[in-house]
Amino acid sequence: MSSNTTPRVRIPAQRGSRETPPAPARRESRTGLRWLLTAVVAVAAVWSLWSTDVGIGSLLAGRDGAARMIDGLFPPDMDGELLSRVGIAVVETLQISIAALVIGAVLGLPLAALIAGNVGAPRWLAIPARLVAAGLRGVPELLWALLFVATVGLGPAAGVYAIGLHGAGLLAKLCSEQLEAVDPAPVEAVRVTGSTKTAVAVWAILPQARASIASQLWYQWECNIRSSVIIGFVGAGGIGQALGIALKLFRYQELATLIITVLIIIIAVDRMSVSFRARVGASTSDTATYTRTSLVQRLLRPSRK
Amino acid sequence: MAKPIGIVCTGLTVRFSTAGVPVLHDVDLDIAAGEQVALLGPSGAGKSTLLRVLLGAVRPVAGTVRVGGMDPFQRGQQRSVRRATGVVRQRDDLVRGLTARANVLVGLSHQWRAGDWFTVMRGRVPQRFAERLAVLAARHEVEDLLDARIENLSGGQRQRIALVRALLPEPRLLLADESTSGLDPARAAEALRHLRTAGATLVVTTHDLAVARQFGRIVALRDGGVVFDGNELTESDVRDIYGSIEVLQEVSA
Repeated sequence: MSSNTTPRVRIPAQRGSRETPPAPARRESRTGLRWLLTAVVAVAAVWSLWSTDVGIGSLLAGRDGAARMIDGLFPPDMDGELLSRVGIAVVETLQISIAALVIGAVLGLPLAALIAGNVGAPRWLAIPARLVAAGLRGVPELLWALLFVATVGLGPAAGVYAIGLHGAGLLAKLCSEQLEAVDPAPVEAVRVTGSTKTAVAVWAILPQARASIASQLWYQWECNIRSSVIIGFVGAGGIGQALGIALKLFRYQELATLIITVLIIIIAVDRMSVSFRARVGASTSDTATYTRTSLVQRLLRPSRK
Repeated sequence: MAKPIGIVCTGLTVRFSTAGVPVLHDVDLDIAAGEQVALLGPSGAGKSTLLRVLLGAVRPVAGTVRVGGMDPFQRGQQRSVRRATGVVRQRDDLVRGLTARANVLVGLSHQWRAGDWFTVMRGRVPQRFAERLAVLAARHEVEDLLDARIENLSGGQRQRIALVRALLPEPRLLLADESTSGLDPARAAEALRHLRTAGATLVVTTHDLAVARQFGRIVALRDGGVVFDGNELTESDVRDIYGSIEVLQEVSA
């Protein structure tokens, strides 16, 4: 339908049509605002670097300590007794990360379903779910770990609770976004058959988001491994605890072995991620939309064509 | 076969934004139970929106709708309207990641019992629906497609699956939104025949004059208003609907 042949034709308003472009005066004021923002960011950056003593000077001042430490790292300790302790710590780290993923998924996925707007959970459930999720992820893992070390004591259980709770909050948010990102047309199609909200969620929303949620869970597991190394420092078990002890006792050769082990774990998990994502992505690469991905994830994902 | 139901709309006006041009403007429509109507009009005329209003999916700013005497915007009655209605759309609206069988059965989910959830999840058909599905699948030649995932089916195959999904609950009203435009002429004619023999009140939207002319009653929309309601379209009526004869020639070419 061309409007030049029939001037009477009214073109119906497009859904979601954009506003008219901004007038020149408004555009100018926006340019000014952009300059101001750039200046503020630049000042904040310089001021922060200056005040925190970052620079060549502070690095040079610490060169003796660094040299002593690097010198101490070599050769890494390959003592059999140590290696068997490291092996046990690695297993414990994996156990912590998997157990935390279970807790995170069991708590986080139902929260995600309640939060997702297109699932349409009643407000009296959706709002508390949103608050709980925000609270869980708002408290850093390290803080959770300190709290749990103080309550359940030193050891892997504290680590599992800490990583699991924080992960539940993250999964709730990220997976609810995956649920909301599905194609709405099939969802409406199922809804207008008179299905219940639960049926719509289970049979129209979830199947479309399944691959991206699986990918999200995998990424959370990767994060859990990294986190368990960090929070091990406060006594929450795993290889992190061993790292913390070696560092505090100045056993640098042992530290070197542990650092190498951590690198091997992380590289191994990354390699596993490649094949996992290739399999999950292949079936649904056209529907899966990832709203938030790690750099590693983006680099590892096979290019989509 | 369930008894067909009628539609009554009075003074329907729909706007998507408060300041915008209405998508539907003061539409009156009375379709008797069992009637078969073609809803004709160019793209953007408001045909699909009208169907969505009938299902309670788009709320009008003015006017009333009754489907089988029920109000699709009343909480309790909305589900009854939807459960009595089968919908087939041009847009591919089957759920990816599920098999064709699960997609078809989901159209009946309001009739499932608790155990049926697991039956469908395991890729089976609940006993009560097995015979009905087998008959429909044979009629629409989709028996071999039921195991396939939606993303592995062609456009025409999906269209047939969508048709089976709409027909399986034995609807009393069938709404088909450009449902034949993705099919080759033979398939399209066949799909139309299946829709017309389903025993339900039928509303088919189309921008295709040839499809519309197969119906005893044609309601034409243009720019959100009804510009024709009758059975014999003259050339001047067509001009009113499509705006200019040149466009019409393009359409029929």
